[in-house]
Amino acid sequence: MEEYIVEFKHLCKEFPGVKALDDVSFNLKRGEVLALLGENGAGKSTLVKILSGIYTKDSGEFRLFGQEIHNLTPKRAQELGIAIIHQELNMCNHLTVAENIFLGREKVRFGMLSNKEMNAEAAKILGKLNIDISPETIVGELPVSKQQMVEIAKALSTNAKILIMDEPTSALTSREIEELFSIIKSLKKQGYGIIYISHRLEELEHIADRVTILRDGKFVTSMNFKDTTLQEIISHMVGRELKEKYPRISCPRGKKILEVRNLNAGKMVRNVSFDLYEGEIIGFAGLVGAGRTELTRALFGADPIDSGEIILDGKKLNIKSPIDAIKAGIVSAPEDRKREGLCIKLSIRENISLPNLDSLCNKLGVVNKKKEKELTQSIAERLRIKMPNASVNAESLSGGNQQKIVVGKWLARNSRVVIFDEPTRGIDVAAKVEIYNLMNDLKRQGIGVMFVSSEMPEILGISDRILVMCEGRITGELDINEATQDKIMEYATRFEKKEINSRTA
Amino acid sequence: MQVKEKTNFFKNIIAMRGMGQVISVSSALVMMCIVFSILNPNFFSGKNISNLLRQVVPILIIGIGQSYVLITGNIDLSIGSIVGMSCMISATLMTRGVNPWVSALIAMLCCLGMGLISGLLVSKAKLPPFIATLGTMIVARGIAQISNNNYNTDAIGEGARGFRNFFYYGQTLGLFNTVWIGLVVFIFFDFILSRTRTGRHIYAIGSNIEASKLSGVNVVFTTTIVYIISSFCAALVGLITTATGGLGTMDAGNGYELNAVAASVIGGVSTLGGQGILLGTVVGSFIWGVLNNGLQFAGAPVAIRNIVIGIVVVVAVLIDIIARTGKVKKAKE
Repeated sequence: MEEYIVEFKHLCKEFPGVKALDDVSFNLKRGEVLALLGENGAGKSTLVKILSGIYTKDSGEFRLFGQEIHNLTPKRAQELGIAIIHQELNMCNHLTVAENIFLGREKVRFGMLSNKEMNAEAAKILGKLNIDISPETIVGELPVSKQQMVEIAKALSTNAKILIMDEPTSALTSREIEELFSIIKSLKKQGYGIIYISHRLEELEHIADRVTILRDGKFVTSMNFKDTTLQEIISHMVGRELKEKYPRISCPRGKKILEVRNLNAGKMVRNVSFDLYEGEIIGFAGLVGAGRTELTRALFGADPIDSGEIILDGKKLNIKSPIDAIKAGIVSAPEDRKREGLCIKLSIRENISLPNLDSLCNKLGVVNKKKEKELTQSIAERLRIKMPNASVNAESLSGGNQQKIVVGKWLARNSRVVIFDEPTRGIDVAAKVEIYNLMNDLKRQGIGVMFVSSEMPEILGISDRILVMCEGRITGELDINEATQDKIMEYATRFEKKEINSRTA
Repeated sequence: MQVKEKTNFFKNIIAMRGMGQVISVSSALVMMCIVFSILNPNFFSGKNISNLLRQVVPILIIGIGQSYVLITGNIDLSIGSIVGMSCMISATLMTRGVNPWVSALIAMLCCLGMGLISGLLVSKAKLPPFIATLGTMIVARGIAQISNNNYNTDAIGEGARGFRNFFYYGQTLGLFNTVWIGLVVFIFFDFILSRTRTGRHIYAIGSNIEASKLSGVNVVFTTTIVYIISSFCAALVGLITTATGGLGTMDAGNGYELNAVAASVIGGVSTLGGQGILLGTVVGSFIWGVLNNGLQFAGAPVAIRNIVIGIVVVVAVLIDIIARTGKVKKAKE
């Protein structure tokens, strides 16, 4: 039997309401690159967090270098040789390369920093990796790819033996990816174990030795990369049966409501065009970071638009802020309830009436409390919001009921387009169904619904049409009759080709 | 039936946002008054009470302005200097023979302009409010100094008698006019804050600026208005100061910005925004006033008064935090 440096057996981890990991077994050998694959929410990050001591397992066996491990803390994990290179780099931009590498472990002589020693040491580590950066460079002045290499150097300087890389190539150009891969290969030769997480399946062929696939918190399979195909990997990633029931209704498709033409906004919305008709729900599918939320923010005026046209009911709109969008009839229930959707210190009533004060106030701007109460009452009843009374803080409600407020505050207006960005995230099944019913209700009333979700079953279960995004572009459109999880996944991973010369380092 | 409604009425009052702190601070205020009246029976004399009321009003008015700013989650450091600016501009004009009411109006407009600048720096230019209003604070003090070529003004004279009576010396229905002004300011701004759309937007911005933007709240407009209101309050206090002394002093209002913060936070206004009511600011400024007045009556020197008030500010906020986090823990269990 080969020697495993990481070994999980029958690992379970439960969060309130979700089984994040359910009987997962996983292992990593010395000197291999293991690709850890799975859809959004498959359990990859939970697994990594247990490995790095951020979460503790509920049950199961966990061995590191053959030793059984209990009560791992992040600090202990680092001492044992585990290091993570995050997707978002954790660097102090104003400090030098050497200062970053030794952050928190500064070398001190007579109470004074000994920069010479640290610079020399940093240069040694960088040299070992064939990275050509001076240790005295300010990190913020380096391109992202070099910063990432500094991060790797930092990990190695802590004597890491196991490197976890989370989407390391997403911000890199093809040339930089090549450099990164040659570093990974040399690390592999030196006996490091590398866990490589990526949605870009096509780049695996250059580095992966083995793949392990998770789905819905369960272990699916682990196989040698040589013995499989990308097609097979995709079907393992998505291959669940659709057994949940979704309350789909069918309406005749009416006239065109919204027309978006060549919309560009920032880096994550690129040349997006689509139409939205009365009586339909468009699902927006894609991987995390595909640009779906950015698209909804641009349409809603929350982020500036660089170019393109938004045409509502035949009229071209000039949306500069959410105020313009709301006036025109486009409203949005944002993704992050606590950060963008709710004023948690204000009462339920105040939250619901906030965007509707124009109709609740007289000419002098005095709020009509009676009207306000009636409005809150009718929305609370329509959405069955469970609350002691409407004066309690929004903070005190459950996630599902908070979500209903975020959505419900828009229902009093005569909107034309309602955007739902991940409306069912983190809420219980009953509340989910109520949100679906509400979307269907709007659809029946001839209101256009845009439904962004990372959960494929619900996208497939509720939408009439699915647009798939990847890297800010719409990479595919699927009618609901032809849509399958495999097809969505295929479009969702249709990254722009980055030519990688598979040069062995 | 009647009884039930009554309990509901009281329940509603207690359930009002920020009322908890107001009630606890009010009881502290009552206790303080009792202690001071034992130490000195003259504390509750009519003369002292009406003096006390008149002393408190300036702090109350700028406290209201500062509370508006704090509830949006910002701070206004310029208001002390704006008191000085209003005082110096109005007094200078009066000593040069301009009609007192016209002088007051001009001073007021200059101060509102200053508030507009602070407001735009914070809302439009997105400067941190601490820095933006530190800048306008220094500038406004400079304007106060330059108004009369770096001198305090002479007495504003007999021509300004009506002005002085209106703002300070006159009485109406047995109460000093200053107290009436404070009362009107409180009722007006409390109404704006608790009953109007602008008021609601002020709370929403302080509670979650991002969610407010995404709900169609005009954040730039509302934040600017709030700074203008706080400058209005400060300018009003400046005019009262002119009327009180009968001349313009360059360092009028020095340190008031922090007294205003003290009155607000003692009364339960959160410096993090989104929380607090003006009734709290009223009680807070009375605590400040009673401590000052009571300790003065008891013969304590200024230094001791400062130490006591500083401690009270910290303790009041500490108690509030402990009470709140305690509540959160309970709710989670």
